[in-house]
Amino acid sequence: MKLIRTKAFKTFAGPAWTNNPINMQMLGICSALAVTIQLNTAIVMTLAMTFVITMSSLIVSLMRKIIPDNIRIIVELAIIASLVVLTDEFLRAYYYEMSRMLSIFVGLIITNCIILGRTEGFAMGNPPHLAVMDGLGNAAGYGSVLIFVAFVRELFGSGSVLGYTVIPEFFYNAGYEDMGFMLLAPAAFIIIGLMAWVQKYLAGVDEE
Amino acid sequence: MSDMTKSIVFAVAMCVVLGLLLTGAATALQPLQEKNVENDRRKNILLAVDLVSRDRQYTHEEISDLYEEKIEIFGATQTGEIVPEVRPDEEPVLPIYLYIEDDAINAYIVPIDTQGVWGEISGYLAIDADGSTVRGFTITRHSETPGLGGEIERQWFQENFEGKKIVDRHGTFVSVRVARGDVERQVPEEDRPHYVDGISGATLTGRKLTEGLEQILYRYEPVSIKFRDNRIQMPDDRG
Repeated sequence: MKLIRTKAFKTFAGPAWTNNPINMQMLGICSALAVTIQLNTAIVMTLAMTFVITMSSLIVSLMRKIIPDNIRIIVELAIIASLVVLTDEFLRAYYYEMSRMLSIFVGLIITNCIILGRTEGFAMGNPPHLAVMDGLGNAAGYGSVLIFVAFVRELFGSGSVLGYTVIPEFFYNAGYEDMGFMLLAPAAFIIIGLMAWVQKYLAGVDEE
Repeated sequence: MSDMTKSIVFAVAMCVVLGLLLTGAATALQPLQEKNVENDRRKNILLAVDLVSRDRQYTHEEISDLYEEKIEIFGATQTGEIVPEVRPDEEPVLPIYLYIEDDAINAYIVPIDTQGVWGEISGYLAIDADGSTVRGFTITRHSETPGLGGEIERQWFQENFEGKKIVDRHGTFVSVRVARGDVERQVPEEDRPHYVDGISGATLTGRKLTEGLEQILYRYEPVSIKFRDNRIQMPDDRG
């Protein structure tokens, strides 16, 4: 029980659940719509995002005392952008097919407001170990939503999970059809909307 | 040091460090990336003639073995002769890939490089040895809007081209055109063999692609005519 009372754990658990960047703060929706048609793209996107947000939080936090205040946003963006370019280059060298499927959305991690929000709002004012936990927590919050949405969309949209068909043949014979709607972006909106509703209900958030 | 100087020094130092880091990474990973691009190019040529399937993963070795066994690159002259690709001191030739099965030409593949709405569209169009039926079409690279013109990279759009005719019943060249919407609804019955379904919300991409295909296929017409008349000679000087 001691673990969950530490500040580090709270820093991690906050964004992962009660302050989830997508469901509660409604940030990062763009990529959540774009890369969640299939589970495997969502997983790779989550990993890429985890790397970028954790590393940028760590670097910014380590340098927070020497970053000049008047150019701090530019510095943060330059660090984030470099990490994104590194991720993109790495994917293109080792996971070419995947990088083609994610196309511009890896590059667009730069504009993912969650990351700049965390470096500016948290890492600039907190020590490295907390900044890393905060980064990981946000990545977990973002990634869990992404993966859940992708799971639902792939299951009902294509009848498969991770590319393997799971809906048995006799379902189709009995007249079951894949929901083409799940493959379109609005489907992700509806799933995220439902998730946000359920989570806010469970967390007991009142009408604002 | 004043705040201003400090900021400038910091910014310069940051640019140098990040610049070096990114240059290093890009240089180190470049050979691997180029290999991937080349492999993808070969895979798309194989896809255009249906030698590989879209539903399966292939290793680099499988692709290069298949490619080296079945595909050869030649040049097409303005009179429609097929000649070795590299011929110094002579008139330039158009690159043409031949799919050779049992020492006979099974299909020929035309590289497509044309202008899209936002940038270049590159791909391959394979035509049967009858010189008029499209075997397959693949897109390797494009910069169209994701979700709109970007749909040209989808399987359904590319498979759309299979079996279409680049000539009409009288043997006149008509190219393949992208319809505005569904072929069944938009195109009169007799023209349907020359039209593929368009993408909704991407009229411009369709129009650009139509223009590009027409220009490129027109340049290859001399060869296609020879294929149609069955007068094509296997080039002796192979390889």
